[in-house]
Amino acid sequence: MSDASALPVEVSAPRPAARRAGYWLVAVGGLMLAVMLIVTAFGPFIAPYNPAAISPDSLAGVSAQHWLGTDSIGRDVLSRLIIGGRTTLFITAVAVSLALAAGLVLGLVSGYMGGIVDQVVMRALDVVFAFPVFLLAIAVVAALGPTIPNLILTIAIVYTPILARVVRGPVLSVKRWDHVEAARSVGVSEFRLVVSHILPLVISPILVETSLTLANTIFTVTALSFLGLGPPPPDPNWGGMLAEARQFMELAPLTVIAPAAAIVFATLTFIVLANGLRDMLDVGGQR
Amino acid sequence: MRRLVIIRLALAVPILLGVSIAAFILVRLLPGDFAQTAAGVTDVSAATLDLMRHNLGLDRPIWAQYLLWLGHALSGDLGTSFATRRPVTSEIFPRLAVTFELTLIAALMAMAMGVATGLASARLRGRADWAVRLWNGFILAIPNFVVATLIVLLAGLYFPQIGIFNYTPFFTAPIANIGSLLLPALSLALAVSVTVSENTRAAVLEIAAQDFVMVARAKGLRPRSVLWNYLVRNALTPVITVTGLRVASLLGGSILIETIFAIPGMGQYLFDSITSRDYPVIQAIVLVTAAIVVLVNVLVDIAYIRADARVEM
Amino acid sequence: MPTNPKADPTSETFIAESAWRLSRRSMLSLAAAGGAFAISPHAFAAGGADPKAKRGGTLSIGADADPIGLDPKTTTAYSSYDFTSLLYTGLLRWTPDMQIEPDLATGYTTPDDTTYIFKLRQGVKFHNGQPFSAEDVKYTFDRVLNSATASRLAATFAGIESVTVIDPVTVQFKLKTSDAAFLRYMATNPDGVIVPKGVDGLDTKPVGTGPFKFVSYQPNQQFVLTANTEYYEEGLPTLKTVVFKFFKDQSALASALRSKAIDMTWFKNPKVAALIARTSHDLVSAPGQTSRTFPVWMNMKAAPMNDVRIRQALSLATDRKACLQTVLGGSGKVGAMIPESQVGGYDGVSPMPFYNHDPAAAKALLAKAGHPNGIDLGDYIVVAANDLDVACSQILQQQWATAGIKVKLKPMETAPLLDMWVKGKWPTLLSVALSWSPDPDAILQRVASNAVFGKNMGMHDAELDKMIADARAQLEPTKRAAENIAIQQRIAENAYVLQIYQYPLRWEAWWDYVHGYHPLAANIRSYVRTTWVDK
Repeated sequence: MSDASALPVEVSAPRPAARRAGYWLVAVGGLMLAVMLIVTAFGPFIAPYNPAAISPDSLAGVSAQHWLGTDSIGRDVLSRLIIGGRTTLFITAVAVSLALAAGLVLGLVSGYMGGIVDQVVMRALDVVFAFPVFLLAIAVVAALGPTIPNLILTIAIVYTPILARVVRGPVLSVKRWDHVEAARSVGVSEFRLVVSHILPLVISPILVETSLTLANTIFTVTALSFLGLGPPPPDPNWGGMLAEARQFMELAPLTVIAPAAAIVFATLTFIVLANGLRDMLDVGGQR
Repeated sequence: MRRLVIIRLALAVPILLGVSIAAFILVRLLPGDFAQTAAGVTDVSAATLDLMRHNLGLDRPIWAQYLLWLGHALSGDLGTSFATRRPVTSEIFPRLAVTFELTLIAALMAMAMGVATGLASARLRGRADWAVRLWNGFILAIPNFVVATLIVLLAGLYFPQIGIFNYTPFFTAPIANIGSLLLPALSLALAVSVTVSENTRAAVLEIAAQDFVMVARAKGLRPRSVLWNYLVRNALTPVITVTGLRVASLLGGSILIETIFAIPGMGQYLFDSITSRDYPVIQAIVLVTAAIVVLVNVLVDIAYIRADARVEM
Repeated sequence: MPTNPKADPTSETFIAESAWRLSRRSMLSLAAAGGAFAISPHAFAAGGADPKAKRGGTLSIGADADPIGLDPKTTTAYSSYDFTSLLYTGLLRWTPDMQIEPDLATGYTTPDDTTYIFKLRQGVKFHNGQPFSAEDVKYTFDRVLNSATASRLAATFAGIESVTVIDPVTVQFKLKTSDAAFLRYMATNPDGVIVPKGVDGLDTKPVGTGPFKFVSYQPNQQFVLTANTEYYEEGLPTLKTVVFKFFKDQSALASALRSKAIDMTWFKNPKVAALIARTSHDLVSAPGQTSRTFPVWMNMKAAPMNDVRIRQALSLATDRKACLQTVLGGSGKVGAMIPESQVGGYDGVSPMPFYNHDPAAAKALLAKAGHPNGIDLGDYIVVAANDLDVACSQILQQQWATAGIKVKLKPMETAPLLDMWVKGKWPTLLSVALSWSPDPDAILQRVASNAVFGKNMGMHDAELDKMIADARAQLEPTKRAAENIAIQQRIAENAYVLQIYQYPLRWEAWWDYVHGYHPLAANIRSYVRTTWVDK
């Protein structure tokens, strides 16, 4: 339906200043990502408490024992934040990988084959695209249970059409380029043609879009958890922490601010990366 | 051009049909139904529940239920809500209006903020440009429900006297109604303003380099009036298109904001009707939102085609 | 709370006594006291209004759920009762301390244990102007018992053999057996309320005899009621308008109350309510009587839950007081099958078998049952939408783990959970809290092996079934209370259901400019009729 991304990718002359800025942004984003990955990877060793351990000391403020205080049933907010990040980022990463894989296949096939195949694939994706995300999420959770794999599945389904379109657009224009035509004329197999001649040319916009999708997915994961459709307790997650803390937020503002800050940090990381990559790889401003 | 539009609109029919079938089957596959959910933990005998199901037509085969629904839907009758026992159409439109109003206010806010920052960034360049980019990157990183939660928190901590949850229907008090929607709209507007800002900046830069602006300048028009007369007017067209696009996504995405601020719009309605398994309502909401998404996409396509045509000319 | 035998609602003298007691407490200033009431059918018509009351005005109530249907006889939704309780009235009603008093009736006689003859008020009109008479009473119950109506109350009133109109102001109920629950159901709104004969469409256009008339309803927004100027209690209702505003979200509800967008509301979470009450000094907060229990239902049809030792081990591994402290902030009591506000309800402190927290003993029991290294009980299903339930389940998970009992938490959407629960299809453990019910028998039916639910859960205890049936037939309240205590002890002894704590289902709070209101454990707001506002 929306062929916005089917517009030719803007290929402009290199802009050195923008590129330099791009490197900087990628460096900053990379650093933020590294911090996040290290904290999540070593989470269980860093976290001062068991994130599920309940204590009678509920809604406590900042103290030497609890750097970010405790929540409504006395659990350490810092520990929950660290361990909750693992869940949130894991779901995000796996869901986006799945959506990317599915989007790549569908987008490449659809864009390269064109014609009826293209129409069928894109219209089918339109149906998914026009379907309310939350109905889908609730349906999956209600039918299959609120487990992490189900959540990943839902989010992957939601983002597949978007990524498929991102892939398909550049493929449509690139496949008519001279060297692709040349390779086709010397009898390179269709599969190799797509993988080794078309894919490399469309990788930059995909990289940028994936980075943005990661940011959007963090939003979706935390939003679904916020609405109570997230991974089940006792494992913490950022969206769920935010939702739980709302009832008592005037008494313990930190229980709201801490997960909110974590969500913003993670989203910001991927936005900085996407912006940096866009400048660095000189992908047109088209979004 | 006209043919293309007709084809696009014709294609919308199978898409909507597909969405409605998918929704129909999906909600009926979900465990639990309205009769049981309405009863809750109240002890209602199985026989009574079955009778209620029969009265709601839930004991018929699913294809018969769908055909019946489709027949009614084609004649403009979306059925009766299980919960309120009133026609769905008369229930859905007031809520759609609320969500639409919220979205509209958010769009206007986003336009104002986005155009201001975009213009500043394009006209002043240098530090201002970077400041705007930094600001945009930052507010884009705050999900709207986080903004909303933080607004509620701040209001609760420092301004408990302002009633942030005091939603007032438009027809009882229009001013209070708009007032009650300002903060929710703000939480939706922030992220959208980034898109508007970026597009304004790009459009202004692009148009400033174009011939007619150069000509106007050469004719000796004052830079300020060149900016307003030519630049802004020409640059605004793509900006409005983009805003329109984002607004369509807002219509579906306001569920969290409506929940947090207790606004009786479509988002909350969908959530409630799924929870209570009010099938006719779910079906109607899915159809209406899908139609909006499809329509907006067609409009965007047309806009792009026209833009392309202009380029070729 | 053991019921005061003097207030026993089974003899005519009860009415006089309760009237006297109430007037002394000035909860309702009744003109007629002593024995006058039973003779004069207008005795009650004179009472009700507070002479100091400021008349007129609007009361805004924050509601957390929309009604689902306004026909009191066909709605099954708890959320509807809040509205039916202002629109309709029945022959009897509850007083603030949960005694029964006459309402549309002026009194009744019981010639034998299975016959009730009600004298009705005269001159009462429905909201549509139709006069109320014995015909409407008969019509109401005939309608309920007609299976085509699909009323949940058909089961509630299945014990009625016949309803006979003796004259326009006298109606006779003949029961199949003696039934202690009958009057309690009759006093409950909407179970016992009267609907007008020959009026259809009550679901969207309610017509009752209640103190307020329906004006308008915008779903998710507001529900507006106006004073019934022809209401039969002199000087009531005091208010002119009542507006319910809907806030699904508990924190939104709290903020709305704090900003005075609403004048009163009730909270599901006692901790939230207690905190608000503590921070706003002009707020009147009424925790109310405990009316809700949080149980863990065990599927006893198969191993391992069919082994009583494992169930007992689970009970011993549970530290109920810790749950109460952490989840409810202490605003509640340790629970048993029947909440304290009921006849023979558990007081939260008396000894109950297997209620002591003893993980070592639990381990020993598990070992005896063949699980010396602990046991994995699989999924423990809870209502995802209920914060309290989810919080408590996490605490239970940790407590049980220390005794070697492992469970995996599975919060679930309400619809599939109810489906599973009602049909007895949950794997091992499931929690869904029980709300207030008019009579303890309704709660006990859950563990009766001759009832559908008990059967689905895998109950086999003929002795318990007999005890439950006997208690319902017991018309003497003190004896009934003692029998109910014994039943609860038997349930705890065999750990058929693992009850954790009890608490007020709805903790009410209102600003101090709201006067004349009384919360009811019955979880309805009948006393909005005597409420007045002085802002």
